[in-house]
Amino acid sequence: MLEFRTQGYNGYSVKYSPFFDSRIAVAASANFGLVGNGRVYILGLTPNGIVVEKWFDTQDSLFDTTWSESHENQLLAASGDGSVKLFDITLSQFPIQSWQEHAREVFSVHWNLVGKDTFLSSSWDGTIKIWNPNANASLTTLPTHSCTYSAEFSPHSPSILSSVSSDSHLRVFDLRTPASASNHLTMNIPIHTPPKPRMGAAAPVGVPPSEALTHDWNKYRDTIIATAGVDRLIRTFDIRAPAAGPIAVLSGHEYAVRRITWSPHLSDILLSASYDMTCRVWTDGSAMGVGSVRQENMVQDDPMVYGGGKEMGSMGRHTEFVTGVDWCLFGAEGWCASTGWDERVLVWDCRAIMQ
Amino acid sequence: MANQAGRSSTAQERLSQVSDHLSGRGGRRGKRSLLEKHPDDIVVTCALRTPITKGGKGGFKDTAAADLLHGAFRALIERSGIDPKLVEDIAVGAVLAPGGGATEFRAAALAAGFPTSTACKSLNRQCSSGLQACVDIANQIKAGMIEIGVGAGAESMSQQYGPQAVTEFSELLENYKEAANCKVPMGVLSEQMAKDKKIPRSEQDKFAASSFHKAVEAQKKGLFDEEIAPLTVKWTDPKTDEEKTITVSRDDGVREGITAESLGKIRPAFAKDGSIHAGNASQISDGAAAVLLMKRSTAQRLGQKIIGKFVQASVVGVPPLLMGVGPAAAIPVVLEKTELDKNEVDIYEINEAFASQCLYCINELGLDINKVNPKGGAIAFGHPLGVTGARQVSTLLTELRRTGKNIGVTSMCVGTGMGMAAVWVAE
Repeated sequence: MLEFRTQGYNGYSVKYSPFFDSRIAVAASANFGLVGNGRVYILGLTPNGIVVEKWFDTQDSLFDTTWSESHENQLLAASGDGSVKLFDITLSQFPIQSWQEHAREVFSVHWNLVGKDTFLSSSWDGTIKIWNPNANASLTTLPTHSCTYSAEFSPHSPSILSSVSSDSHLRVFDLRTPASASNHLTMNIPIHTPPKPRMGAAAPVGVPPSEALTHDWNKYRDTIIATAGVDRLIRTFDIRAPAAGPIAVLSGHEYAVRRITWSPHLSDILLSASYDMTCRVWTDGSAMGVGSVRQENMVQDDPMVYGGGKEMGSMGRHTEFVTGVDWCLFGAEGWCASTGWDERVLVWDCRAIMQ
Repeated sequence: MANQAGRSSTAQERLSQVSDHLSGRGGRRGKRSLLEKHPDDIVVTCALRTPITKGGKGGFKDTAAADLLHGAFRALIERSGIDPKLVEDIAVGAVLAPGGGATEFRAAALAAGFPTSTACKSLNRQCSSGLQACVDIANQIKAGMIEIGVGAGAESMSQQYGPQAVTEFSELLENYKEAANCKVPMGVLSEQMAKDKKIPRSEQDKFAASSFHKAVEAQKKGLFDEEIAPLTVKWTDPKTDEEKTITVSRDDGVREGITAESLGKIRPAFAKDGSIHAGNASQISDGAAAVLLMKRSTAQRLGQKIIGKFVQASVVGVPPLLMGVGPAAAIPVVLEKTELDKNEVDIYEINEAFASQCLYCINELGLDINKVNPKGGAIAFGHPLGVTGARQVSTLLTELRRTGKNIGVTSMCVGTGMGMAAVWVAE
């Protein structure tokens, strides 16, 4: 396990470069992001450990970062003052562009993985904005009317994106639909819907809504999205059946889940970071051939909801809230990086913690 | 950096956000979350009232409560453009009508154009009946019992005010002190309360005069026009006994030129050394009001224009002899339920049953008096008992929307010792 200290700054987000296996960006904030400056670190993984290649300071706290998919030296940062900033690591000190449109804290930024010419931001002001790095103003604003902690483009389509917000809903937008209909909103799934009742099992009881903090698109199964948040549960949804409720419910975290991310290598594996100071590796059970209906007795055999999905390991080396975690896209499947309020970035191999 | 206060409140909000993540409360409440829009919000798409006229001599003195209600329903259907077939239930608050007016109100609904498939009930929670009707409908929608409903109120104090409204108490009730207190007339107990709580007559008269003043101003500026549905009725001229057809379009109890000094000359009504009189108590009036409620998703589907939403209501009991303190008891409960600070509310509509009790509640809660009843209240334009709760919704939402503000509270004291309050958000 490699370690780096973000002295004086509490980590909020960590992202591997999509171009280099040895480059990591970290968004961090002084004073736990409550008040004060922010800083983006560009870290290099070298035989001598983790070294700082560069950093950028900002006036307000930073809550998220994402690498450009089209330019290997550029990355975005989401700021507490409502701005989205684009930095170029070959230049010093200042962002090359800063877009100030959000009225409140920006909590997530994400680059379009397919289109590569657009990116999005989501904010506490209840909107998601779509941007082009060459345009001065946003291209589109999508209202969610609710503090939106996480928004992401689908890795399978340039025009589909999704979000989760404090109103406990997973929204899917399709930019190809006419804006007039409902601001491109095509799906609005209540995350707290209990799993569908099944014969031979007790009917699920009502689940109160709770804030959703993070979500991620599966990289292999193009209709599967995982969500997680304050109720400590990770759920997966199939957007082909939005009314069916979650298909897997993974419990184990002892406090709110701050970030989840699907493996870029394996279709059933995901990684989570939580306020309970751990990162955990999970399988949603799909690789074990679940979801089949046993026709003889009409009782659906669905181990995903009933325990087929499970925790595969836990990493407890952080000593404060873990807020960011990301997979390395290159090399052996399993390398990942995490950051948290303990002012540390850890780079580790999750195969070492799997049981 | 320029605004240090702004920075520290940002830090406070970020901190409470993180602490909410940890405590796992079911979503944040408070002002910020109140302003969020969700598909399952209970929204108001139309709120209106007839004018309110003076009991015994005003424009509606010869019009039955059910006919007033009929007028309000007709206007509601016309203004909202709602297909009456889609309305599944109607609740009407009424206090004085014999049998609660249940039969007449159902008939009024049918005559107004609602089909037989639209249900209708009447209910009586004294002076908060109109609010209770709206809350009942909102709760029915929330619980999934109905999809669209109307909360309303109707009262003809001209025709139905009098001793027959209460039956004789049995010996059993008379022998139980607190029970017997329920029968003490409002004026008498309010007089005693004003004395006990030390609300001097001068303060009451000042408050009453300002209610008149605000209502006159509002009427002059046409601020009531949007919420009032004019009504054409038959009216017998008391001088000539001639029956005329008149159109009533404004509250006729509002009088110009009232000052604290002019009110100071009126003789007290309930005790020689008393402080309450006709000028600083609510007027006896006639009127009707109606509020159309549904889920936001339904409103959007039907293309109904959303003017506000219902958030939460509270009801509390207080000693019957202190019924006037009702709002002071109910408002903190509803603010606590919604996690609102009293200063985050932009307008309070608190019914002015008596200047004494309204003033007491404002002082007790420490409210900014400029936020209370900005267009005047029942002292100026009247308090048709069962209507007031529904009337306040239209008065509140129109004023919030006109001034570009959001959060309002309606509240009133309730005879026999209760208080009720509700939080509304204008959109």
